[in-house]
Amino acid sequence: MRKFFPVEELARDERFNQVTMKERMADPRSGLPSAPGERSRSNRLVPSRPDASQAARALMHGIFVGEIQALEGAGRTCHDFRTAGDSARRAQDDAHDGVDTDDAVPFALKLDMARQAWDEARHVEISVKLSDWMGSEIGEFAENTVLFQAACSTDPILRLAGVNRALEGLAIDVFTTMKEFGDLAGDPFLEFCEDWMLADEVTHVKMGSDWLRRVTEHDPERRKKALEFQGVVDKLFSYGGTRSDSQESPIGLARRFRELAGFSDHEVEEIAEVSLAALEERKAAVAAMQSAARDVEQLAGG
Amino acid sequence: MSATGVTVTPQRFQFVHFDAELIQRVAESLVAALGLDRPVVIEVDETTPLARIDVTIDDAVTIRVESGAFEDTRRPRHQSEQATAASLGRVLLRARDRLLGGFGEAPADDRLTLAQTAAWNAYCAGRLARLGVHVAPQRWQYDFRNRHGFHDLADVAFERLWASDGLTWGELDEISRTAQHP
Amino acid sequence: MADPYQPRSPFAPWDRRELPGMFDVEESARRIGNYKWAEIKLFEALGGWVATVPELDVKMRLGTHCYKHAWHSELWHKRLPELREMNPDRLTQPPNDAMVHFVEALTEPEAAEQTIEKLVGVYRVFIPHFVAAYTFHKNNTSQITDAPTIRSLHFVLQDEMDDWRDGEMLIQSLLRTPDDVARASAHQARLEQMMLDAGGIAGPGSIGNPYAAGNGATTH
Repeated sequence: MRKFFPVEELARDERFNQVTMKERMADPRSGLPSAPGERSRSNRLVPSRPDASQAARALMHGIFVGEIQALEGAGRTCHDFRTAGDSARRAQDDAHDGVDTDDAVPFALKLDMARQAWDEARHVEISVKLSDWMGSEIGEFAENTVLFQAACSTDPILRLAGVNRALEGLAIDVFTTMKEFGDLAGDPFLEFCEDWMLADEVTHVKMGSDWLRRVTEHDPERRKKALEFQGVVDKLFSYGGTRSDSQESPIGLARRFRELAGFSDHEVEEIAEVSLAALEERKAAVAAMQSAARDVEQLAGG
Repeated sequence: MSATGVTVTPQRFQFVHFDAELIQRVAESLVAALGLDRPVVIEVDETTPLARIDVTIDDAVTIRVESGAFEDTRRPRHQSEQATAASLGRVLLRARDRLLGGFGEAPADDRLTLAQTAAWNAYCAGRLARLGVHVAPQRWQYDFRNRHGFHDLADVAFERLWASDGLTWGELDEISRTAQHP
Repeated sequence: MADPYQPRSPFAPWDRRELPGMFDVEESARRIGNYKWAEIKLFEALGGWVATVPELDVKMRLGTHCYKHAWHSELWHKRLPELREMNPDRLTQPPNDAMVHFVEALTEPEAAEQTIEKLVGVYRVFIPHFVAAYTFHKNNTSQITDAPTIRSLHFVLQDEMDDWRDGEMLIQSLLRTPDDVARASAHQARLEQMMLDAGGIAGPGSIGNPYAAGNGATTH
């Protein structure tokens, strides 16, 4: 088995259709107000939205495939990085890589990742049951593979920042939105399940925050690099404004749970800014794509 | 306009990979199955991935539909014949309800409450299923529960709407109202 | 009312535990170091395979079992310092090179079409050998002096038996043609041969030696 696994090869059965973030962002359509800076209507996912049921089903499916990728990411971290002190594995890695790699991680970190794999496996189980309850079929919506792609760096510390802080941080935001949705709608299963999953995600983010601090304790440069990487991933995970403090975004930023998970106020503010920037950039990009399409149409017509 | 009275605009799509002829064929087949006797105009807004549908009824039935309503959710920007049939079938059934009578007291679409909309959708989806259009009952039941509550009374009401034919607006509204109070 | 001062046997009539055991502290630590190494290799493999299997139920099981084996390795990691090994990494070793080769062969299958091979390696070869080695250890170590190891072995064996059953059922559900059965058997035979060379999870003597004279068990 290879040491690092390419996102294009994530194994799925025939029900799934995977799309990349690039394909997603090439869609010139938008449900957002088209003019940059314009703030017109709330898109927050709440039961009072006329399309609430369909939007909740779509988001639930997004959670389902996100959990699969999080499971795969945690599993790969157990495999991809040598346990510190494993001399036999070091010899194997060096033979395969042809270079003297130095990507050993503490044994306890790998135990945490294995625990996370179990948690994510349960989350997939929960998501399958919830999706069925909400009337969705497995694979009914396209699977965006950006989570695995962005989060699974070949550097263990960057991976921690990407998977445990950016990806699992996004999960905190999503689960908080869905928990509130279930609570408002009076859905007995949705609120119950999201509450449990939220507890796990806070634990996973905390694991990431703790390990990032411990492993880079004497390496400020590496820590800086990891946090910069997390910032890039956080922006990607804002999905062009799907997650931000703005009411235009379906998913809000769960500030309280993020604090519980070990994010500082400053870090939460940074994520809020990055998410809003992503929203504005997406609106500008959509406006440009739509304008270009109209030009083409006029040329064809004229 | 085709011989059976269905027009689709635009004929060529810039933002999505939709087929106007397919939309027309699906609509014609539904119009024939439902026995609608007036022209149908379908205007697709391809600039948004949302899935709202507005219908106005005068000399023609005019359907303004956002592209998400016809989209294959597995393959973004591509059309799904199944979604096209389910979306058009639902609004055409509602139009037919209004035209055939018994629904004179029904508020205009934009004045319907979320619960009334969910009830009418459940009534339409059940009839579409019996016409052979693929619709997932659990999906509509979830929507109905979101609007009426997650309890047995709501489920019984949903079953009744799903299995019904020939309801009047008064009967439909009564089922919806009683389902909200267990 | 019973007299609380009346002398009682320190071992109740139903407590038949014996003092003698087959392993001294050093041998026990050596075996446990081998167990820890093997459990680490197993949880690394299971975690790595999650992304490579298309079958959703298998994917979820592998993620779940990955944690169980990580936990077993943690139990052994914590036991080592209690057995006078203050540097657990020193004993976290394979028993021999043959075991390293076995693990290399076990983790070779990667393609999405090789779920049968992946599961056969784990659930028809590796885990049955864990069950055997752990059972032998549990039944042969001192029931009194090595009680902490026995307690961990109870927990671990419970997991191994549950996972063995899970894995075997997954395999049976995936074997749908005579060719599938042949693939599974061939892979199992190849790995079993390699495990034979290794002598078991803790090397030769992992499950004793029934051909030896005397009590039927030797460590090497």
